[in-house]
Amino acid sequence: MSHFSLSLKTGEKLLLLAPFDAGKSTLARILAGLCPKYLSGELAGDLMVDGHDLRETEPWELVRSVGYVSQNPQEQFVAQTVEDELAFPLESLGVDRKEMHRQVEESLTRWGLVSLKSDSEAELSGGERKRVLLALNCMLDPACWILDESFDDLDSQWRRYLSECIKGTNHSVLVLASRYLPQFDGLFDRFGVLDGGSFVEGSLDEVKGHFARLSGDDELCPLVREPADGNLRRLDAKGIEVHKTRLGDEKRKVFDLSVPGFTLSSGQIVTLLGLNGSGKSTFARLCCGLDVPSQGVFFLDGQTADTDVLNRNVGYLFQNPDLQIFLPTVRDELSWSLVRERKYGKEQIGEMVGEVADLFGLSLDETPSTMSYPKRKNLQAAVYYLLDRPFYILDELDNALTYRKAEDLVRLLYGKGSGILVITHDRSFARLVADDGYEIVDGRMRSI
Amino acid sequence: MTTDTFIAGKGFLYTLDPRAKVLVWLCAVSFFFWPIRLCGLVFMVALLFVLSLYGVGGKATLRVLRSILPMLVFMVVFMPFGFRTGRAMWTVGGFPVVTWEAFWQTLLLMSRFVGITYSCTLFLSTTKMHQVMLAFLWYRIPYKTVLVITLAFTYIPFVSDSFHEISDSHRLRQASGKTRRTPLRDMLPTLTSALVVSLRGIPYLAMSLEQRGYGRKGKRSVYHDLSGYHHAVPQTLLAVLVFGTCLYLFR
Repeated sequence: MSHFSLSLKTGEKLLLLAPFDAGKSTLARILAGLCPKYLSGELAGDLMVDGHDLRETEPWELVRSVGYVSQNPQEQFVAQTVEDELAFPLESLGVDRKEMHRQVEESLTRWGLVSLKSDSEAELSGGERKRVLLALNCMLDPACWILDESFDDLDSQWRRYLSECIKGTNHSVLVLASRYLPQFDGLFDRFGVLDGGSFVEGSLDEVKGHFARLSGDDELCPLVREPADGNLRRLDAKGIEVHKTRLGDEKRKVFDLSVPGFTLSSGQIVTLLGLNGSGKSTFARLCCGLDVPSQGVFFLDGQTADTDVLNRNVGYLFQNPDLQIFLPTVRDELSWSLVRERKYGKEQIGEMVGEVADLFGLSLDETPSTMSYPKRKNLQAAVYYLLDRPFYILDELDNALTYRKAEDLVRLLYGKGSGILVITHDRSFARLVADDGYEIVDGRMRSI
Repeated sequence: MTTDTFIAGKGFLYTLDPRAKVLVWLCAVSFFFWPIRLCGLVFMVALLFVLSLYGVGGKATLRVLRSILPMLVFMVVFMPFGFRTGRAMWTVGGFPVVTWEAFWQTLLLMSRFVGITYSCTLFLSTTKMHQVMLAFLWYRIPYKTVLVITLAFTYIPFVSDSFHEISDSHRLRQASGKTRRTPLRDMLPTLTSALVVSLRGIPYLAMSLEQRGYGRKGKRSVYHDLSGYHHAVPQTLLAVLVFGTCLYLFR
């Protein structure tokens, strides 16, 4: 990022669109006073937020000045329960106990988190985690809100609520996004795009046009599906029931999910929709054999499939790529499974890995942990592409990616003739990639 | 790095005043460091085991045992090599494989290890982390120290959680066909990855703590309180008395 210049007055609301890997999160962290203190890099220029010179201000002095909601909510949790997470900054500010309880209760109620208040971060779904951080931000109501892809992970109800909160605040709001969502209509008074590390401002239409050219989203068209040929595979689930008790909950709340029937065949793309915490990821974990249902059976090509069979046949791209990529370089990540397969020689593995890296636009010597979030998602997809699974589950793949990029990844995996289950909150994206789908409503999955 | 260790359950351990519980826990852990007879250690381990079964249930109790099982096996296999003197317990072709001294020392070490593990897990699974924090603060321990202690309590289970998540992820990246299982060989990359993930989480935690106002000058307020507990002193005295008696009886 260079020659970046931006000024936001009190009450102004700016939407900053930026394509894949353009430096949105780095910008957000710089504005929150966290970069370069915690992340490597050099910073030059003037940075003032709410009267604070960010180059001389510590992050703890900015609690009431800057509210930053990260794209990856897991990295921002500090307390063991949702309630304590909300209370922590109020304790730091020395707020009176009675007032703290009032504010925390109010936030929990507003963001639909009352029933989750004693849950730990690990027990929450991706959307619920995002809601906790947004509730915290709205509760503190800082002078400047920095929301990095905050609409992603949320279902339509909470996206609407977040829009209302942005509309209702008289503080400055900067929303960083990698695609234009219908929820943005009428929400912002300024628009910009991050192009080559510089800020380019314009009217909504100008910015949308500029962004479409940068990301290729102007060429959006529904994914062309062709009937799969050759060896047709089929994954079925019948009578699946899940009953889970949350360990730390004194009231012993039970999570229930019921799937009377589910089918996925080679060359088919189906979507799974549902509210935050409805059990979409739980079902995905069952499908690939990471968890075992309380009742019901999975079938692969008509034969009962145990967890080991499901592990080897269903590729599951987790919602959070960081839980699936750990090795020092992209090359290591891509070759990990091939080396263990003992089917290919060293040279052959090198060739395969090189081809896939080119296909997914990855550099083999890059370090995954320092790559941007969308690029890590790209790597995650490349790892599974090499595994050549007959079925793939893509859990909220479209988060933080442009429609075009997410569609490209689906196309690449679909190109292998696999059956694909796409989990998403975005109905526009669902319509773009699939004709059929399922939805989870009140703990029950049904065909739509 | 915020893995919660609390398991909701029943029993007097949940109603015990957290301030007294901290002391009971410290007494229980220190008990295993005293020169106690083996029968005393076994008695205490059995007591903790029963309390755990009653408090957090059989599943959670056995899970702890399963997690330390490799360490116990390691002790059984390697301890006898450290004690070669004394009467032979088991000989092969005239060669003493295990001596009675080694046998008793192994039992002693295992009892201590199991006892300390159950004391800690029982304390953390029956006490909410904010109660642990408040109890330490009540003993006038500075907030920064208490925060570090409580974060350490959540860090170890976080490493364990990461290990399981990475194992899951590696499991999904196996070859399509049946391959020979190499659990020990596969464990090394999983363990390395878990450690890398855990270490990578530390700067993010520090970043988020500062963003939440940790480091500010001025007095922090406290969200929770221990007003529901009224018997810290008698419970503490009773606990000290019980452990003192046990120490006297099994010295």
